[in-house]
Amino acid sequence: MASLLRLLLLLLAVAAGPLHAQNALVKTEHVTAELLVHSPDGLAPGKDAWLGLRIRHIPHWHTYWKNPGDSGLATALAWTLPVGVEAGAVMWPTPSRLPLGPLMNYGYEGDLLLPVPLRVPAGFSGSSLPVRLHAEWLVCREVCIPESGEFTLEIPARAVVASADLFGKAFAAQPAVTDGMFTRARLDGGSLVVTVAGVPPALRGQAVQVFAEEPGVVETAPALRPVWSGGQVVLALPLLVNRTDSPASMHAVLRLGSEARGIRVAFDIPGPWPRIGAIPEPAAITATVTAASVGGAGRAAGAGWLLALALAFVGGAILNLMPCVFPVLSLKILSFARHGADRKRALAGGIAYTVGVVLSFVMLAGLLLALRGSGEQLGWGFQLQSPLFVSALAILFTLIGLNLAGLFEFGSILPSSVASVRARHPIADDFLSGVLAVAVASPCTAPFMGVALGAALTQPAPQALAVFAALGLGMAAPYLAASAFPALARLLPRPGGWMARFKTLMAFPMFATVVWLVWVLGLQIGVDGVAAMLGVLLATGFAAWLLGLPNRSQAGTLTRAVASVAVLAATASWAWPALHAAPPSPASTDAAAAEGRAPPQAASATHPANVHADWQPWSPETVETARRQGRPVFVDFTAAWCVTCQYNKRTTLANEAVIQDFNTRNVLLLRADWTRRDQRITRELNRLGRSGVPVYVLYPAPGAEPRILSELLSVAEVRESLKGVAVFAPVANNP
Amino acid sequence: MKALIASPLLLACTTAFAAEPAIGQQAPAFEITDVSGKAVSLSQFKGKHVVLEWVNPECPFVQKHYNSANMQTTQKHASDKGVVWLTVQTSAQATPKDVAALSDWMNTRKAVTTATLVDSGGKLGRAYGARTTPHMYIIDPAGKLVYVGAIDSKPTSNPADIKGATNYVTQALDETLAGKPVSQPVTRPYGCSVKYGT
Repeated sequence: MASLLRLLLLLLAVAAGPLHAQNALVKTEHVTAELLVHSPDGLAPGKDAWLGLRIRHIPHWHTYWKNPGDSGLATALAWTLPVGVEAGAVMWPTPSRLPLGPLMNYGYEGDLLLPVPLRVPAGFSGSSLPVRLHAEWLVCREVCIPESGEFTLEIPARAVVASADLFGKAFAAQPAVTDGMFTRARLDGGSLVVTVAGVPPALRGQAVQVFAEEPGVVETAPALRPVWSGGQVVLALPLLVNRTDSPASMHAVLRLGSEARGIRVAFDIPGPWPRIGAIPEPAAITATVTAASVGGAGRAAGAGWLLALALAFVGGAILNLMPCVFPVLSLKILSFARHGADRKRALAGGIAYTVGVVLSFVMLAGLLLALRGSGEQLGWGFQLQSPLFVSALAILFTLIGLNLAGLFEFGSILPSSVASVRARHPIADDFLSGVLAVAVASPCTAPFMGVALGAALTQPAPQALAVFAALGLGMAAPYLAASAFPALARLLPRPGGWMARFKTLMAFPMFATVVWLVWVLGLQIGVDGVAAMLGVLLATGFAAWLLGLPNRSQAGTLTRAVASVAVLAATASWAWPALHAAPPSPASTDAAAAEGRAPPQAASATHPANVHADWQPWSPETVETARRQGRPVFVDFTAAWCVTCQYNKRTTLANEAVIQDFNTRNVLLLRADWTRRDQRITRELNRLGRSGVPVYVLYPAPGAEPRILSELLSVAEVRESLKGVAVFAPVANNP
Repeated sequence: MKALIASPLLLACTTAFAAEPAIGQQAPAFEITDVSGKAVSLSQFKGKHVVLEWVNPECPFVQKHYNSANMQTTQKHASDKGVVWLTVQTSAQATPKDVAALSDWMNTRKAVTTATLVDSGGKLGRAYGARTTPHMYIIDPAGKLVYVGAIDSKPTSNPADIKGATNYVTQALDETLAGKPVSQPVTRPYGCSVKYGT
């Protein structure tokens, strides 16, 4: 009985055996993996045959190439084969780049087949061949799951071609070794410079992706700028700061343009390799920022803390001359004339104003740092990217303007308690005017300040805030000095009737500022938003006038209060949807529209037709494409609310000689419009070491470093920078 | 002062990690909060050896070394010799819940660390060029980087491979504590990607 049972079990085992042996398919949560065979001539000595592991990934998941890049693990195959039978190395298809934040991986998504050549020994004559495979792969999306599978397959000796298509595709995706191509390499500072000659004509002039087969030597995701000349391309691959290997030879797969199939190159690397830690910084934009920025300000990025403070102070002082601060400054002049005689009062006011300015700058910077810390892509001037903030400023300026024009007195519309506090603490006014000055001045990135603020925002919070405090001190300094030295104040005429007229006059710059803010708003939320805003401004003016009428009776005051609240509420509820409306479509707010490209007839009215500048919207891809073609590029990082930008645009960038210089060299003119929040532009500004606009970048010839021009752009500077740029004649690709 | 001068360069370079320190160079200064909200800076450990370990509880490679107690043994070995051990989790944005979860995980795994740092936004990770979890760094008492790379010599997620692997961190610590140069100062880190977000 027992032996019968044993026999039964044995039979079961035998019956189950072949089933088990044919377990060539493994399904996991993320892939379907299958062991395949391709033997068009059957299994015989000297005949080609292949095994292959097919991995079908679920969407968005990937496995890795032989060099997985910054993280990950290459798929590993371990074969168990009869004695004498050999499986060769994995024939990796051309990989793809799989970026994840700042990291780069190399691998595959979708349907992948990893073929392996199979060799049977000379005396092979079996009718089948048992194959076992233990495969391990790391499959990742944002998270990584290590998976593995045991595969068994009994391969018949006859020809198997069921998977011919899949193998055919995998062979076609193998990096090609192109005859007549010649590769050499040399070490140059922190780079491995690879020169590939003899590239077939169809592949020339393209973008190049480089996949080094040996990990741990060169950067995985370099910002590669291939330099083409005919059939030769020079690639400078930055060495890893902490490389794990210094090989005498290397292999790499190159992908040119959109070619799915790579080209495999091999090259020797004549030493000596630089010692780790002795590699100079890659000569990247770092050097250019320092070299190209305005005069002495240039070295701010490298010269550190004290210089950044000093630059911030000077920049702050210069802010006073910027058009956006002027209306607030005019208020201060008035208060000077009023309090000029009272030295103590003037000094107290000056200090209060300074405290207001410094505190506001520090708080604004603190807010910016906090938001950036939480991952927001923001830069300096971010507050003006909010339509609601712009609206609030417009209302505020309208009220100040109407007050200066004499429509109403603040005293009569403010609740009496507030008015009396103001009367008892006049220096509170000075403090508040400091706050106001900062609110308006912050977008005017004055000359020198771009560098200082860019440096500041990358430092630890206390240092960054100190830089902004220095900026505030600089801005308040001229006024503080004037209040401390009454001799300066005495230069103003004696108080008198002229003051009333001057006050009215100053209403006009206020209203001019409103015009500008409404224009900014128009670019952000469109013409409906502008109409809504103007309605709100009208209602605000009406309510202010109504409330400011002289008090006759309790009942009259109440009626007027109710009426003005009703008018304001009705207008606000009418305007709210438009002010909150979705921004107009990108096409209507791109750089061309936002920057108000003149209609053709207007252009021909102001300029001869041949000096028309053709600005196009910026994108990193456009820059990349143009540079690949060898075309020089000039980028204007701008925003509607940035007065310096608008000034430069209407003067230097509209200058006929400048436009002619651009046009004769066929420079591609790109405008990056930061009027609204745009993460790509913010990232590019960060990369350039800046945190605000304007920034002007010239990419001269291919291979040359981009140059950053100064924020207050002069005609001479642009023309000088263009002198070294060769005339670009586009190759007639499409005859 | 040196770190201050270097830091503005962080954002100015073309490659993601162009500011990462090389072996033998000064390790970038930092101040960052730990899971309890306390500020921790590199400068407060001047004069001591400091280990930085990048962690992510969800990563199988991290689990390999924690579930087998290999990481804790390495931490204990370091701690017994007066070495400061700072474990860092980098993420695009750490919510209070994430921080609490990390803290709990470290506690239940009985990690022997000086502090667990929350690198929300990835500034610290970028400053050091951290690529994988785990990714290990050793800083000597003078503030110079003396080791960077993997925890050990077998780049797999299989805990069975820990036996027979060379623990590079223990090896480098023992050498540098004995005043000897580190024999393998740079190794290739392996593991999951550090989660900087996209």
